[in-house]
This record gives sequence, structure tokens and C-alpha cells, in this order.
Amino acid sequence: MSLATEAFMSQIAAAEPWPENATLYQPLREDQILLSDCASSLAVQAFLRMCGLPVQVVCRANAEYMSPSGKIPFIHVGNQVVSELGPIVQFTKAKGHSLSAGLDDVQRAEMKAYMELVNNMLLTAELYVQWCDDATATEISRPRYSSPYSWPLNNILAFQKQWEVRRKMNAIGWGGKTLEKVYEDVSQCFQALSQRLGTQTYFFAKQPTELDALVFGHLFTILTTRLTNNELAERIKSYSNLLSFCRRIEQTYFEGKHS
Amino acid sequence: MGTVHARSLDPLPMHGPELGVQADDIESAHIEPEPNQEVLENKDVVVQRVHIDGLGRTKEDLLTYEIADVFRAKNLIDVMRKSHAARQKLLRLGIFRKVEVVIDTSRGADALPNGLDVTFEVTELRRLTGSYSTMVGNNEGSMVMGLKLPNVFGRAEKLTCQFSYGTKETSYGVSFFKPQPGNFERNLTFNAYKVTGQFPWSSLRETDRGISAELSFPLWKTSQTLKWEGVWRELGCLARTASFAIREESGHSLKSSLSHSMSIDTRNSSILPRKGGLLKIHQELAGYTGGDASFLKEDFEIQLNKSLFWDSVLSASLWGGLLLPIGERATSIADRFYLGGPTSIRGFSMYSMGPQSEGDYLGGEAYWAGGLHLYTPLPFRPGKGGFGDLFRTHFFLNAGNLCNLNYGEGPQAHLKKLAECIRWSYGLGVLLRLGNIARLELNYCIPMGVQSGDRICDGVQFGAGIRFL
Repeated sequence: MSLATEAFMSQIAAAEPWPENATLYQPLREDQILLSDCASSLAVQAFLRMCGLPVQVVCRANAEYMSPSGKIPFIHVGNQVVSELGPIVQFTKAKGHSLSAGLDDVQRAEMKAYMELVNNMLLTAELYVQWCDDATATEISRPRYSSPYSWPLNNILAFQKQWEVRRKMNAIGWGGKTLEKVYEDVSQCFQALSQRLGTQTYFFAKQPTELDALVFGHLFTILTTRLTNNELAERIKSYSNLLSFCRRIEQTYFEGKHS
Repeated sequence: MGTVHARSLDPLPMHGPELGVQADDIESAHIEPEPNQEVLENKDVVVQRVHIDGLGRTKEDLLTYEIADVFRAKNLIDVMRKSHAARQKLLRLGIFRKVEVVIDTSRGADALPNGLDVTFEVTELRRLTGSYSTMVGNNEGSMVMGLKLPNVFGRAEKLTCQFSYGTKETSYGVSFFKPQPGNFERNLTFNAYKVTGQFPWSSLRETDRGISAELSFPLWKTSQTLKWEGVWRELGCLARTASFAIREESGHSLKSSLSHSMSIDTRNSSILPRKGGLLKIHQELAGYTGGDASFLKEDFEIQLNKSLFWDSVLSASLWGGLLLPIGERATSIADRFYLGGPTSIRGFSMYSMGPQSEGDYLGGEAYWAGGLHLYTPLPFRPGKGGFGDLFRTHFFLNAGNLCNLNYGEGPQAHLKKLAECIRWSYGLGVLLRLGNIARLELNYCIPMGVQSGDRICDGVQFGAGIRFL
């Protein structure tokens, strides 16, 4: 299929309404998924719930390899496959569902800046803690990541992943950072988010946006995931407005509806 | 006392490019009886010594097995016959470029009057040889670069490294071959490889990295192979537009399997045989030695050839296979069977029949395919006795089926399923033999019994390959 027809097909598909059988794929919830993937997956789930779009969550051991970009999570809607929050937001927008439509240009720019902050700081810090902190990598990340595979493939894949993440960290200049410095950076990020949120219900007044979904995904996952030490979670707990923000989104969008 | 100089008993061709040996200008033994010569022909002789000249790195103990028979010869004809047989055995080891035999009367203090000395003059192959070739596989061409270290440790071991850069795949491999001394057919092979393949009919890309150990031995008239193989398989989509069924198969898996194969081949040639038959049975059990793929796979191939009038040959073949998953896990797309294309059921596109999803073929768990061919020389036989003999015309009739089986229905239902919706095709074409390994075909095909979803190639179809139905 040529690029032009592909683009045409995706436009046709975008014009179709959201189907009932939309599916979100992520790694196995109990044994396999890691903090960073869980956070990204939860952010997309929160976003879709905020949009009121039904999606069924399916756990697959090979979700990472099924994803067209190699990243978690991805959604299968009709015959379209879209991965990661950014493209999914674009995709739902094309179908007429948008959370940030009411924002003006300045607010939208601000929202994008904060989303970049979360992706560059929180997501990177999560990856750093998972794969570059030896205790976490040995006790949690490698065994969990490789749990669906049999020996010796499990070791090969886990080390391959670790090597890949470490190379990325070196490329963006995080390779030389100490764990303490990463915690410091994360605290600053929390502080910036806490200040922006202030006493509002959501980051942009009364209506949730994709930024709220993204922040919720990461904060909630950090708070509820057990790591070798609870330093990341402890640092959030000093910002009470972030805690109540998480609880609010959880109650509004996940409780009740889930059961 | 004269000298009997026998280079060889009869002009046998030294075939096999493996050996790298050109057929010597073999003279038939000529013995000119002169009046003062003692005619040894019918007299008892004793082979006193066997020399091997020209050995470098080859260990002598290996060769003693090959030449031991020469000592048992009782008369001159026997000596010559056994020396010739020993020469053949030495050449087959694939470690000598040239072997010559000189038979002489014994000399020295302990020489018996009827004693003979046999001397093998050998030239070893170089320690390291490189090769460069192009290869034609199933609808694919590739450039192959190889390094060969024959006789690495002096006992006919062979180390081969191969790098192949192809139109569709790039792969490399290292293989170590070790025959049992004195029993060349019984041998061990170790392999380590990486193979990447693209399968556009399934929108699938597969990268295999594996190691294997293989034991081959002859048993009665068959040749048997036992093999263990551990393969790390990485599957991925060839394009973003791949169907979701292919996407679901993506990822890594580890297959550890034990397999056994048996073959009896009485054909006179593997490409365009004139007579003889072939029976091949292959079975593979995966999952019991580790890994996460578990299945039992059975596969067979039968071919019978019969010469008819006017140099024409009638050939019938039948293939079949069954893949049984063991346990809960469904079979992987990488293990299933594919059918269709110019090398199996002609008139259909390559591997484009049977179960499919959005135009991507998923393969089946059971298949059968049969073919009936009538090969004849070219009409009016142009180039007879030369180039023209590489060509044949053929008329063919192919049929087969590929499907998934719902286990639990029982064998009756399975057979019924394989017997309904049979795909078949007929036609005629010209084929060209390439060496003794591959053939090219240009056919006009008429596909029949086409089921919805099958991709056909109505009319002219070109095929190249090494294994044909």
C-alpha cells in the first residue's frame, strides 16, 4: 500500500465512530508490567475514560512487540493500531473527541510544556530507577520483564532491554547521574506540578485534559507500585494537593465504573 | 622383476564438488607381460607395506581405517581393486585434492618374493579455502561467501563459515563437522547460525538465532538423522499494514526440539531423475527439552519415477504433514505449514492458500499435496547430446489442501476436512536443470478448485527452487 493510500485509509477510518470493541494492549498486569509501562498504560486509560470512550484492557506477554512503535500501550480500534498517548490523543481528536478543545492557544502551549516535563522527567526517572539502579534492576525489573520467557531467552531479553535503556540514558546525559540526583530532579518536577495545580480541581480549572491523564497515570502508579525503596512515593506524599488530585481522578473515573 | 604401475582400476568419475577433485586422466591398468617378467595375476601375493606419502596435518590413525582392506588382498587383481576402493574412500573424506596409488614389489631385507608395497601419494587440501558463489533457493537468490577449513584437527573434521547476502535475507552460520574415523557416513555436525527471512505472503519478518547438534548414520538402506535444535525466534510485522493476526504473533519465542528424519533415496539424480524413488519422513518434538513452543510435527515426502517410451519419465509425488500443538498454547505461525506456489501447487501464488487474515496467510496445521508429472525431452530435440539435454518439457497435475484442524473432532472429521475444497491445477511448461542441485521452470498453469482468499497466478508462472512437488 502506498503512503498516499495509507493516509487516505486512516482518514476514512478516523471518520468512523468509536467502536464498542476498542481494545488496549499492555503487558501482563500481575507478573510482567514495569512501573514506566504501567504508568503510560494508566495514563491512556485515564484519558480514554475522561473522553468517555470505552476500551477493553487486554494483557499480552508480547504487547511490546505487537506495538507498532515498540512502546506500551497501544490501542486497536477498528482496523487501526495506534500506540502511545500523544498519537492516541491525535487519533481520538480526528474522531471528534478532544479534552483540550476548550483551551486557548496559550493554555494549550502550557499544557504541552507540562506534558513534555512529565515525559522528560518522570518517565525518564522511572526508566532510570528501573534499569540503571542495580538493586531495582536485579530484584524487580529483570525478573518481571523476562517472566513470560523460558531460560535462557529470559536473561538475553532482559539484559538486551537493560543495555538499550542504559544506552539511551547515556545519550541524553542521564548516564552519569546518581540515584540521589534523580530523586532531586523528580522532586523538582513534583513541586512544579504542585504549584501549577494549586487548589484547582484539574490543571486547567474544572475540566480534565490529557495533562491530567498523564500526570495521574504516573503519580498513581508511583504511589501504588512497590519498588526496592519507596523514595519516589515518599517524595510525592509531601505534596498534599497532588495526592488529593490522584484520589479525585481515581474516584471520578475508575471507581464504580470499574466494578 | 618388473614394476606394475596401476593408477586406477577403471575410469570412475570422482563426483561431488565437495571434494574439489577433478576426475583424473585415469588410465586403465595396463600390464604388459614381458618374457622375463613373472606374471603375478593369478598368484597369491602378500601386501607387506602400505605407505602414504604427502601427509602433513592428517593423523595417520584416521587413514589406517580407510586402507586396512588393502592388507587383506590375496592376489594382484584384488590388490588393485582394494587399492582403488581405498583411494575412493580417501577422496570421499574431503581432505585430499589428489590421491594416486602406486603398487610395487617389496624391496629390502625382509621382502618376500611375492610381497607387494602399496603407496598412496596424496596431496592435502589447503588449510583454508574461500569460496564465493551465488545460490538459488525457493524463489530467492543470494550471494554466498564462505570460508572452509577442511581437516582442521587432522581427522577429517571440517569447519565451515558462511555469510550470505540475499535478495530477501541476510544470514550467517558456522558449522563443525566431525565424522567417525573409519565410518564416514556416521558423523556429527554442530551448527550456530542467524537467519533472517521476509515472508511477504504473511507480512512477516523472522529472525532466527540458533544452535543445533546433529547425528547422522546409515541404517540398513536408509540414512537417519537425529537432531537437537535450540532456536530463538523473533517475529515481527513486515509493514504497518500487516493484519492484526500477524501482529499478535510478533515477539520472541524459544523453540527447543528433538527431531528425527529418515530417508531412502534410490533415484539416479535428485533433479529430474529417470528412475528410482524417494521416501523421506521427518518428525519433530518440541517443548520437552525446554523452550516455550511445544508441538509434535510429522512430515513426509514420497516420490516415484518411471522411465517410459521415447526418453519420457513419469513421476508421481505425495507430500503430507501434521502439526499437533501440545498443551494450551496455540501453534506459532513460524511452525505451521504453507502450501502453494511454483514449487508446490503450481498456478497459485507463493504460499498463498489456506487460512488467512486480511490477505496475510497464516499457514495451516495439516496439509497434503500430490503431483503427477510427465517429463519429455524438448519437441524435435534441439541440441541433443549437449545443451538441449538440460531442458525438459513437462505436463503436470497438482492437487493439495491446507487447513487447520479442530482437535477433538476425531480423525474421520480431519480426513473429511482435508478432502473437501481441494485446490488443484494443471498445465505444461519447460524446465531447465541447473547443475545437479536446482531447476528453473516456466509453466502455463490453469488453477482449479480455488477457494475464496486464495491468491492465484493464472497463466504463465516462473519458478526456481531445489525441492519440487
